Amino acid sequence: MVGNRVRRVEEAGEAGVIRVRWIPKYTAMERVFHWGHTVTFLALAITGMILFFPFLRPLAQGEGGHLIRLLHRASAIAYGALPLVYLILEPRRALMSLKSVFKVSRYDVDWVKGMIPYYMFARHEAMAPQDRFNTGEKLNAVVIILGSVVFAVTGLIMWFGKGFLPIGVFQTMVLLHDIAMIVTVCMFIVHFYLAVLHPLMWAGLVSMRFGVTSAAYAQEHHALWYYGPDKAKEIYEAQKAEHAAKAEQSSG
Amino acid sequence: MSRVAMLIDESICMGCRGCQVACKQWNDLPGEATTQQGSYENPPDLSASTWTRVKFTELVQGDNLQWLFLTQGCLHCGNAACVEVCPTGALKQHPTLGIVTLERDLCNGCGYCTQFCPFGIPRLDGDVLSGEGLAYKCNFCQDRVTNGLLPACVQTCPSGAFKFGDRAEMLAQGKTRVEQLKQGGFPNANLYGEHEMGGLGRLYVLKEAPSAYGLPENPQYPVMANLWQNAVQPLGTVAFGAAALAVMGFYFVARRNIKMEEVEW
Repeated sequence: MVGNRVRRVEEAGEAGVIRVRWIPKYTAMERVFHWGHTVTFLALAITGMILFFPFLRPLAQGEGGHLIRLLHRASAIAYGALPLVYLILEPRRALMSLKSVFKVSRYDVDWVKGMIPYYMFARHEAMAPQDRFNTGEKLNAVVIILGSVVFAVTGLIMWFGKGFLPIGVFQTMVLLHDIAMIVTVCMFIVHFYLAVLHPLMWAGLVSMRFGVTSAAYAQEHHALWYYGPDKAKEIYEAQKAEHAAKAEQSSG
Repeated sequence: MSRVAMLIDESICMGCRGCQVACKQWNDLPGEATTQQGSYENPPDLSASTWTRVKFTELVQGDNLQWLFLTQGCLHCGNAACVEVCPTGALKQHPTLGIVTLERDLCNGCGYCTQFCPFGIPRLDGDVLSGEGLAYKCNFCQDRVTNGLLPACVQTCPSGAFKFGDRAEMLAQGKTRVEQLKQGGFPNANLYGEHEMGGLGRLYVLKEAPSAYGLPENPQYPVMANLWQNAVQPLGTVAFGAAALAVMGFYFVARRNIKMEEVEW
């Protein structure tokens, strides 16, 4: 493949070279936090599921089970401490990200409408302009944040409240902990797909690794962030109008 | 062999606590250092090393004082919540005898059994911070029973309050005894455990209402255990499967429709 590409560049000359203008998207701290949270989330999910799914029972038994439960608790401490540490290290940026994640606008509704046409059929005009985090990323963040709060509260009650609290409380905590696990792991599966597997989202993984994204990618996927609200709206409307005109032409 | 049961006639029990001692001897359990609590009851509660214990209750009815004895220990439910919620399979029910046992080699100390038992019987001996620990409870001396012996507590009881054998036979004997007590001046006498929790393996002949002994009047299989085992667990399996399948489907559709040559870098 590499050989092929080199020959094509030689034949095509300058036109064969892909030139990418990189613009910063994530700070080093943001990336460390993201990947730290990923690793601890997966550690918690795996060790937790061993107690949850009956078919994983052999791993939950005896000394191995003791180790699994200990690892779950150790990972939980790291998982809970990471966002707090990040909040202390980059408080202004953290608050800015939190605000943008919980902000809902008309474009979020449009994103949901355009989700299938865009992500499955590559209809570019269906994509509403998005901020630094698109609606899907925001949804992922909201679900993970709220889920983590549920995990922390129910987990701490199960950890330190066993024997002191009425058994009904403990039982409810087990159930809520499990429901939060199901919701967040489903969210994780979708997030993994869009961030790692989906061909149009190629720059997502690059930016979470290197902190930069390509300008062309930002223009298409994060127009609101790249251009600002006024110009983004203008481009979006023009794009829609152009598409409508084309559709009319082809049908007429 | 059919389901077995222990019939404990609390109107005969004299509170000697021989059963406690026999239990500790057979199961090789250490004694506990306790303090005088103003009662002959000792130790104060079931624990990891006390699997059976005589609970002493002083019931005052007007000028009359009744001393009630209750031999506490696992009730070996027909429909045992602890067995259902145990994530390791350490807790299991004998397929024919119905005895609920705890295989300690498999236990990982999660303590779910202690939190789902409607009688509060299993005890966890462990460290709160690390969660290291093991659960303990009466196992009806299954090792003795399956070898044709009586459970240690039954064997040792000098008053004859304990009987052990075929559950139907124990139920019949218990009912006869309750009738006798009713006619003999104990109008509140009753047999505890015939239908509770799928029928208990430990049946009590009681002189007074179960609540007077501190037993739940109407123990229920925990709703949360049902929800957890029959709703949330299957839901989890289905949800992960559906999410993974959907994502794979999306991927193939997206791959067919998206031309990377047209994507701007």
